[in-house]
Amino acid sequence: MAKQMDRRRFLKVVGVTGGGAAAAAACGPGDPTTLVPYLVPPENQIPGVATYYATTCRECPAGCGMHVRVREGRAVKVEGNPDSPINRGALCARGQASLQGLYNPDRVRGPMARNAAGQFEPIAWEDAYTRIVERMGAATGDQVAFLTGHASGTFDQLVDQWLAAVGSQTRFVYEPFAYEALREANRAVFGLDVVPEYQFATARYVLSFGTDFLETWLSPVQFAREFSSGHGIVDDQMGRYVHIEPRMSMTAFSADEWVSPNPGTEGVLALGIANVILADAPDNAPFDVFRVRPLLERHDPDMVAGVCGVPAETIRRLAAEFAAVPSLAIAGGVGAQHDQAHATAAAVNILNYVAGNVGNTVQFGPDAPATASSYQGLANLTQAMRDGRVSVLFMHGTNPAYNSPSGLGFVAALDQVGFKVSFSSVMDETSSHADLLLPDHDPLEQWNDFEPRAGAFLLQQPVMQPLHDTRQTGDVLLALARQIGGGTASRFTAQNYKEYLQDSWRTRQVQLGGQGSTFDDFWAASLQAGGVHQTPRPRTVRLDRGVGQLTFDVWQGGGAAGELTLVAYPSPVFYDGRAADRAWLQELPDPVTKITWSSWVEVSPETAEEYGIVDGDMVEITSADGSVTVPAYVYPGIRPGVVAMPIGQGHTELGRYAKDRGASVYDLLDSTPTAFGGLSHYCAVSIRHTGGHQVLASAAGMSRQMGRGIAQSTTIADVRNDEIQEFHAGHAAEIPEKIERVLDEWQEAQDRESAIGNYAGDHPRWGLAIDLTRCTGCSACVTACYAENNIPTVGEESVRRGREMAWIRIERYFEGGDGEEPLTVALLPMMCQQCGRAPCEPVCPVFAAYRTPDGLNAQVYNRCVGTRYCSNNCPYKVRYFNWFDHGNANDAAYAFPAPLHLQLNPDVTVRSKGVMEKCTFCVQRIRGKQNDAALEGRDVADGEIMMACQQSCPAQAITFGDLNDPSSAVSQSAAIARGYKVLDGLNTDPSVTYLMRVRNTVEG
Amino acid sequence: MTATARPEKMAATRPTYADVTRDVVATLGNPSKAYYGLLAFVLVVLAIGVGALLYQIRIGLGVAGYTPPVMWGVYITTFVFWVGIAHSGTLISAILFLFRSTWRTAVYRTAEAMTVFAVMTAGLFPLIHVGRLWYAYWLIPYPNQRQLWVNFKSPLVWDLFAIGTYLTVSTLFLILGLVPDVAAIRDKATGWRKKLYTITALDWRGTDQQWRHYSRAYLYMAALATPLVLSVHSVVSWDFAVSIVPGWHATIFAPYFVAGAIYSGVALVITLLVPLRKVFRMERYITTDHFENLAKLLLFTGMIVTYAYVVEYFMAWYSGNQFERDAFWNRAFGDYWWATWTMIICNSFLPLFLWFKKIRRSIPALLLLSLFVNLGMWFERFVIIVVSLSHEYEPYAMGHYTPTWVEWAILAGSFAWFFTWFLLFAKNFPTVSIVEVKEVIPMPRRKMAH
Repeated sequence: MAKQMDRRRFLKVVGVTGGGAAAAAACGPGDPTTLVPYLVPPENQIPGVATYYATTCRECPAGCGMHVRVREGRAVKVEGNPDSPINRGALCARGQASLQGLYNPDRVRGPMARNAAGQFEPIAWEDAYTRIVERMGAATGDQVAFLTGHASGTFDQLVDQWLAAVGSQTRFVYEPFAYEALREANRAVFGLDVVPEYQFATARYVLSFGTDFLETWLSPVQFAREFSSGHGIVDDQMGRYVHIEPRMSMTAFSADEWVSPNPGTEGVLALGIANVILADAPDNAPFDVFRVRPLLERHDPDMVAGVCGVPAETIRRLAAEFAAVPSLAIAGGVGAQHDQAHATAAAVNILNYVAGNVGNTVQFGPDAPATASSYQGLANLTQAMRDGRVSVLFMHGTNPAYNSPSGLGFVAALDQVGFKVSFSSVMDETSSHADLLLPDHDPLEQWNDFEPRAGAFLLQQPVMQPLHDTRQTGDVLLALARQIGGGTASRFTAQNYKEYLQDSWRTRQVQLGGQGSTFDDFWAASLQAGGVHQTPRPRTVRLDRGVGQLTFDVWQGGGAAGELTLVAYPSPVFYDGRAADRAWLQELPDPVTKITWSSWVEVSPETAEEYGIVDGDMVEITSADGSVTVPAYVYPGIRPGVVAMPIGQGHTELGRYAKDRGASVYDLLDSTPTAFGGLSHYCAVSIRHTGGHQVLASAAGMSRQMGRGIAQSTTIADVRNDEIQEFHAGHAAEIPEKIERVLDEWQEAQDRESAIGNYAGDHPRWGLAIDLTRCTGCSACVTACYAENNIPTVGEESVRRGREMAWIRIERYFEGGDGEEPLTVALLPMMCQQCGRAPCEPVCPVFAAYRTPDGLNAQVYNRCVGTRYCSNNCPYKVRYFNWFDHGNANDAAYAFPAPLHLQLNPDVTVRSKGVMEKCTFCVQRIRGKQNDAALEGRDVADGEIMMACQQSCPAQAITFGDLNDPSSAVSQSAAIARGYKVLDGLNTDPSVTYLMRVRNTVEG
Repeated sequence: MTATARPEKMAATRPTYADVTRDVVATLGNPSKAYYGLLAFVLVVLAIGVGALLYQIRIGLGVAGYTPPVMWGVYITTFVFWVGIAHSGTLISAILFLFRSTWRTAVYRTAEAMTVFAVMTAGLFPLIHVGRLWYAYWLIPYPNQRQLWVNFKSPLVWDLFAIGTYLTVSTLFLILGLVPDVAAIRDKATGWRKKLYTITALDWRGTDQQWRHYSRAYLYMAALATPLVLSVHSVVSWDFAVSIVPGWHATIFAPYFVAGAIYSGVALVITLLVPLRKVFRMERYITTDHFENLAKLLLFTGMIVTYAYVVEYFMAWYSGNQFERDAFWNRAFGDYWWATWTMIICNSFLPLFLWFKKIRRSIPALLLLSLFVNLGMWFERFVIIVVSLSHEYEPYAMGHYTPTWVEWAILAGSFAWFFTWFLLFAKNFPTVSIVEVKEVIPMPRRKMAH
C-alpha cells in the first residue's frame, strides 16, 4: 500500500488537512501547490496519533452520528458517535462501509460532459457552468426541474430557494424507501402526514407486521439498541417479540415467535387482535375509540382466522399478551409494502391506539417531518419528462434509473429531456444517461446538515481534503446563481455553501435559544458534538373523524393458479442498492441467506420440491412486467407459495464491484403507483427451473447445528427457575481429575513460558462476553472488523471456495421447522476464542502461533511459513489463510485498488501471500490504550479498551475486558448462569463466554 | 514373509555365476528407442508439473483447490502416499535381510531404489504445500542472529527429522549395496560411465578383507534401517494423531500407518517389477515364486490395514464421542462416500483374491491388483486427510474440497519425477543385485574327470 502513497503525496495530504478541516472548504479542490514539511508541524497533527472528527452518516436517512478517525490526513475508520442519541456509539455495516464510498476506486474524479459521440469526457468546471447557464437561458421557468433524494435541512432549503431564484417550482424528491404507506395510514387514522418516533426501549411486547426495524426501517441502529434493552431480561422478566410476515427476515430472527399469515392479510390480523383487546377490556381504551368500534366488531377472531390462515386461539393469545404489558405494534416496512400496505399500517395504528400505546411507545412530536418524497412523485416526473415539460433536469442524491420498475420507463423518459445534469459522485444508472456530470463531494468531504426528525439537527464536516476534482453541489448551485447574475445572484449573499450553512445555523441558534454564546462558540460546540439534539414534547393525537369509514382490503395480487407471490424486500446490506459498490458489503454475507456477491431468490422447501429446485438452480422468475433469472436459495423461513428477492443487486453501472452482478428485482415489480402513492413490493410471478445451476457463493457450511450446542439457547422460564441446561458438546461425563491436572499443568507451563524476562509479573487476561439474547445478526461487527484490521475482500469465486477472510463471522443455524417444532434461528458471532489451552499453538513448527503474557493467541505474520496446521487443529475454524496476494498492489488479487488503500489502518499489518491470520482481539487497540495509560501513569480502566466489533454493535451484545479482574464488566457477564463456552468438551479454555440466547416462549 | 526360496524349482533353469553377470550387465546396454520415448514422456510430464508449481508459487496457493476448513489436500495426501511407498524397500532390503529371507535377493535392489526415489518425491510435497516455500528452511533448527528456534512440540518438526533421517539412511544403504555390483560393471564400462562407476565402486577390488568389511557394514546398515521402517511412518502418522481433528486423533495411527505404508510399498514394487522383468528379460532371476512371496506380503499387510479400518469405525462408535461418530458417518455416507468406498474396495476387498494361489501366481492378475492397491492407498490418505478436515467440529465452517488442475498436474509431475529417477537408475545401475543373486546360487564346481 505504501507504494501508492509516496512521501510527496503524503505530505501534500497531511499539509492541507493539517491546516485544519475548517480551512478545507475555503481551500477549494485541486492539489495544493505548497508542501508543508514536518519541520513546522501542523496543528492537531501528531504523526501516529489519530484525530477524530464528528460528522453524520448519510448512508440512509436515519442520521447516525459518526466519529471519523483520521490518521496523517486520511480517514481510516468510522465509529459511532457515543453522544448521538440516535446511535449511541454504534454503527451498522453500511455506516462502516461509508469509507469505501469515499475511497471508491470508481468515483467520478471530475466534471464530465457527454460529447458528440455520446461518450463522457472531462471538462473544466467553469466550462460546465457556462454550458448550464446557456441551457437554462433557453428554458423557461418551470421547465427547469430539480430531482433530489430525501434531503432535509439546509441543502433542501437551498435547492428550493435556488429553484425559486431561477423562476421554477418544479422540484421532485425521490427516496426509494419513503414509507408512503405508513404516512398515508397516519394521515388517515390520526390526520398527520408524519412518521412518529417509536419507543422500543419501553415496549415490553413488540408486534411487527412485516417491519424490518433491525435492518433498514427508519433508524435500525437506534432500534436495535432500544429493542435489545426493551426486550431484555429485567428481574427475571423478559420482553416478548412476535414477528408477523410471510417471510422470516433478519429482524424476525430476534423474534420469540414467528407468525406467517397469508400474504397481504396482516392488516386484518391487526384488526382481529384489536378486536379482542377492545372486547376484553373496553374501559381501558381511549374515549374516542367509538369511532372504530363498529369496524373492529366486524373483525372477530374467527372471521380473521379464516382470512389470514392464523388460528383464532393464536389471535386471542397475541391480543392478551399485547394488552398485558407496555407494547408496540409496528407496520410500514418496505418489504411488506403491497398495494394494501396503507390498510395494514392503518390497522396497526388502530391496534396501537386501542391498546393505549399512542403517546407512550408511539410518539408524535419528535417525529420525522413530512417529506415530498413518493413514488407517485417520480411517476409524475416521468410523465412530465415524457410530455416534454422538462427541458433542463438536475438530479442529486437519487438513482431512479435503478430504483424504479423498468415498466415505469424512467430511462426512456429521461432521454426526452433536453439537458440533464447529474451531481452523483459515482457513475450510477441515472448519471450514465446525463449530459453533464458534476460530481458532488462524498458526504465525508462535505459541509452539510441533516434533520432526520424534529429536534435532531445534525452537522456534517469534511474529515479530509477532497480526493478528486469534485465540488459540493451547494457550492455549484451558488456559483451558478452568481454566473446567471441579476436577480438570481442577488438572492444569495453567501459566497460558498459553508457560509450559506452557517447563515442557516445563525437562525437556528436563535431558534434553539442559544443566544447566550457567540455564534462561533455555538458553531464549534455543535460541530464537536456532531449537531444539536433536542427532545420535542410528544403531542396528543386523536383518531381522525373519518377513520370509521376506512376500508381494509387484503392484497389480491397472487390469486391465479400456478402463480406465486414475490416479495421484494430491502437488503439489510445494500439498503436500496446504493451501497452495492462497496466491496466490504458485497463480501458481507447476507444475514439471512449468508450469500455474498450475488442475487438469489428465496424459495420455501415445499415450493422447491414442487418445482424440483435445489440450492443454486437457476430459476427464471416472470411477472407481468418482466423476467429475471437468478439462482434459488431454499429457505425454510418462507411461506410456501411465496418467493422473495432482495433489492440491491443487478446494477448495470455503479462501478466495478456492483456492475453486472446478479439481477434487479425492480425488473419484476408493477410500475403502477398504489393508492397511497407508493410502489408495491409484492407481485404475482411464475417461476421456472431453467436447468442451469451455479454454486452459491455462500459463507455458510451446514445450516444446522447437528446437536453440537454451538449456539445455545434457553427459555425465560428456565432462567427464572435456575434450571438452565448447559449442553456440553463432546463429552457427557465429568473430566477425570488426572486429566484436569495434566491440562492445568500444560496451561501453567504455557503461561510460565510466555511470562519470562520482561514479561514477568501479573497480566490481564483479555476476554469477551457475548450476549446471544442481544445479538440480532446484523453483521455490523463484521464490517467494522474489515475496516479496523485491513481484512481483504477476496471476491465471489474465492467465497465459493470458502476463502473469505472475515475474522468475525455470524454463524446462522436453523432449528426446528420440521412440523413438530416451530422454525427458529440461532445466531452466534464467532471469532478467535483466544483459548487458554490453544490447540493451534503447539502444532506450529516455527512458533508463529504463540501465547502472549496477557492471554492472547498471537499470530506472528512474519514468522509464518504457511503449513496451515494451526487451522486444521482449530476446532472453531477461525484462522484464515492468505491464498492469494491480496495486499500486493501489483497482484491481480489486490484487494485495495487505489484509492481504497488510503483507508488501510496504519496500526495493522497488511498481510502477504501465504500466511495465516486471525482475530487479534484488536491488539493494536489494547496496546494503544495501554500506552496511553502508561504515559499517564495509571492502569487501564475497565471498559476503556473497545474492540472494533464491540464498538460497532448496535445491540451492545459484546463486552470486553480483563478476565483476571473479578470486578470487570466482562468477568461479571461471564459469570452469569447462562454463560457457556463453545465446544468446552475439548478443554480449550476459551476466553470468549457466550451468554445463551433466552427465548420468551409461550408457556404451557 | 518367512517363506524360503525353493531351490529345487530354481534348479531347472539354474543360472551360473557367469550368466548372472552377463544378464545383469546386459540390462545396462544401449537403450532402445522405447526407453528414450518413455523418458521423454516422463520429462514432459515433469515439466508440466514444474510449470504448475511455478505458477502456484507466483500466484499463490489459491490456485490449488483448498477450501477451508480443508487446509491440507492433494499435496499432503501425496506426501503420505510417497512416504508410505518408501517403506517396503527398506522392509525388503533390511528386515528380510536380517531374517535371512533369501528370496529377497532378486527384488531388493528395485525396492531399495524405489525407496530412495519415493522419499525424494515425498520430501518435495511439504515444500509444495506450504504457503511460503521460500521460508520453508525456517523449520530447520539452525542458529541465527534473531535467536529464533523451532517448536519441537510440533509434529511437523519431527517429520522433518524423520524424513531427513530416512532419506540419508536409505540412500547410504542403496549405495552400499551397489558397491560390489558397480565394481563388476566398472571393469567392462567405458567413457563417462567408467568414471561414474569408478567413483561409486569406492575402489572395490573384491579382496577378502573388503568382503569381510562389506558384509559387516551391510549388516549394521540393515540393523540401523530396520527401526526406521517402523519409526518414520509412525512419526508421519503423528502429524495427524497428535491433532484434535475427529478422524485423526487416534492411538491406532502409528501401526495402522506402518502397515499401510508397507502395503502400498509392496504394491508398487510389484507394479515396477512386472514390466522391468519383462523388458530386461529377468524371468530367470525374478521368478513367479518371488511374486508369490510378494503377494503373500501384500495379503498380510492388506489384512492388517483392513483390521485397522474396522477398528477405526468401531472405536468411533464405541467412544460415544459425537464428533468421532459424525466424522466416520460422514466418511462412509457423506459427500465423499465415493472416495471412502474406493479405498475400502481397493484395499480390503480386492486383495482377498490373493487367498487363491492361482491369483498369487498370475503375473497379470498381480499387476492389476497392485495398481488397485496403489489407487486405494492414495485414496486412504485422501479420506483420512481431506474427508476428516471437511467435517470437523463447527458445522457452520464445514466445507467441500475439490482439487484443481494445478494439483493434478503436480501430482502427475511427482510420478514423472519418480519415474525419471527410476528410468535413469535402471539403465545405469543393476536393478538386480549381481552379488546377492550369486549368493543363493550353488557354488560352481569343477567338472569331475572320469
